Amino acid sequence: MSATYDRLIALLTKLHEAPPGDTTPDATYAELDVDSLTLVEIVMHVERELGVTIEDSELHPDLSLGATAKLIDERLAG
Amino acid sequence: MPSDAAPPPEPDDRALAYAPRAAVLCGLAGWLPPRVVTNDELSTYLDTSDEWIATRTGICQRHFADPGQATSDLAVEAGRRALESAGTESVDAVVVATTTPDRSCPATAPLVAHRLGLTGVAAFDVSAVCTGFVYGLATAAGLITAGVAERVLLIGADTYTTIIDPLDRANAIIFGDGAGAVVLRAGDADEPGAIGHFDLGSDGAEEEMIMVAAGGSRQRSRRDEQPSHADRHFSMEGRAVFRHAITRMTGSVRASLAAAEWKVDDVDHLVPHQANQRILRAVADDLGLPRERCVSNAESVGNTGAASIPLALAGAAAGNVIEPGDRVLLTAFGGGLTWGSCALRWPDRTPRTPTAPAAAAPVTAQEGGPLAP
Repeated sequence: MSATYDRLIALLTKLHEAPPGDTTPDATYAELDVDSLTLVEIVMHVERELGVTIEDSELHPDLSLGATAKLIDERLAG
Repeated sequence: MPSDAAPPPEPDDRALAYAPRAAVLCGLAGWLPPRVVTNDELSTYLDTSDEWIATRTGICQRHFADPGQATSDLAVEAGRRALESAGTESVDAVVVATTTPDRSCPATAPLVAHRLGLTGVAAFDVSAVCTGFVYGLATAAGLITAGVAERVLLIGADTYTTIIDPLDRANAIIFGDGAGAVVLRAGDADEPGAIGHFDLGSDGAEEEMIMVAAGGSRQRSRRDEQPSHADRHFSMEGRAVFRHAITRMTGSVRASLAAAEWKVDDVDHLVPHQANQRILRAVADDLGLPRERCVSNAESVGNTGAASIPLALAGAAAGNVIEPGDRVLLTAFGGGLTWGSCALRWPDRTPRTPTAPAAAAPVTAQEGGPLAP
């Protein structure tokens, strides 16, 4: 996966406790038991650290980690 | 060489040798209504659990006002204890910060002043939702520095259970009732307890983020329409509030730090409005402040609105968490939107513990509370 994906995983690991083996590209936030406030924290950190704008509603519980990285990369590409 | 080599200082130079007049903290107390409501009790009538509430909010219990108990009842208890703590019976003004006044007219402060034996003093309310206490501090400090008052009693008091739908799971688990109060006296800006370096702000474009839609002129001017159940109760956009609370409190703390010429690491205790543990943790992390320097009592009282900062201060001071000379930074965020921060060095003063009366044991659900028939 991309460098963005690796940064996302590093961020998620900092904000949420999940077994390392569970954080696969296909895993969704709901499956990882990431709650709605942690999703907001992820959005805030991604915006700050990567300089992209994401709506809170775009990071929904059924989004996968791989799809999130793709979303961020698309924003970075403009 | 002239014989009078050392001329007397110019009047202006002498004036600069004195610190400017400031409001100094000299009394502090909190009061909580005796009825304790645990997460387990909430789980008996809400689709939730102790584990769910505790992991998502860090709140384990809160206090509820009894049926018939109004905000002024809580404010009087906290105010009386703060006056005792300050060793005084008289002040020149009473300011009550609240979102849940006894009535929409008049303000709650005159009644509180009267019941404290202070009839005749200036008395009014400050309405800035959960930022009310910080706005109240700025207001009280202004009365003192302008020479309007020598001593001010400031009380933050709220009974959120009176505006929250008890069956609204999102909000009913967060809020509790309580009151906290401080006494401020005129003093010098460079003495311990002097309150200053305020940063205050607002953004009315986001008024709908935290709101009780009905009950004011917007709704009452539509004379023939009855407000809906939802409009008569407190509403909050949780995710948006979470984001704005973190961003605004962090920014406001930085502004106060800059005004005080303190670095983040100089702060011994950050005392934020106790919205929930998640927000407090995120604010501390974003500032780069060790979490243990963030004072929190949300676990035992929940979000008590304007009362939350003085309750947290009283608890921390009574537990010797905050000690004389410590650098303390207060910050808050609330509906409006509003936010604000200020700084002080902790004075040499032993405040009272923020507890309910010793005789009052926790009572069970069937004895009262918002769900009682």
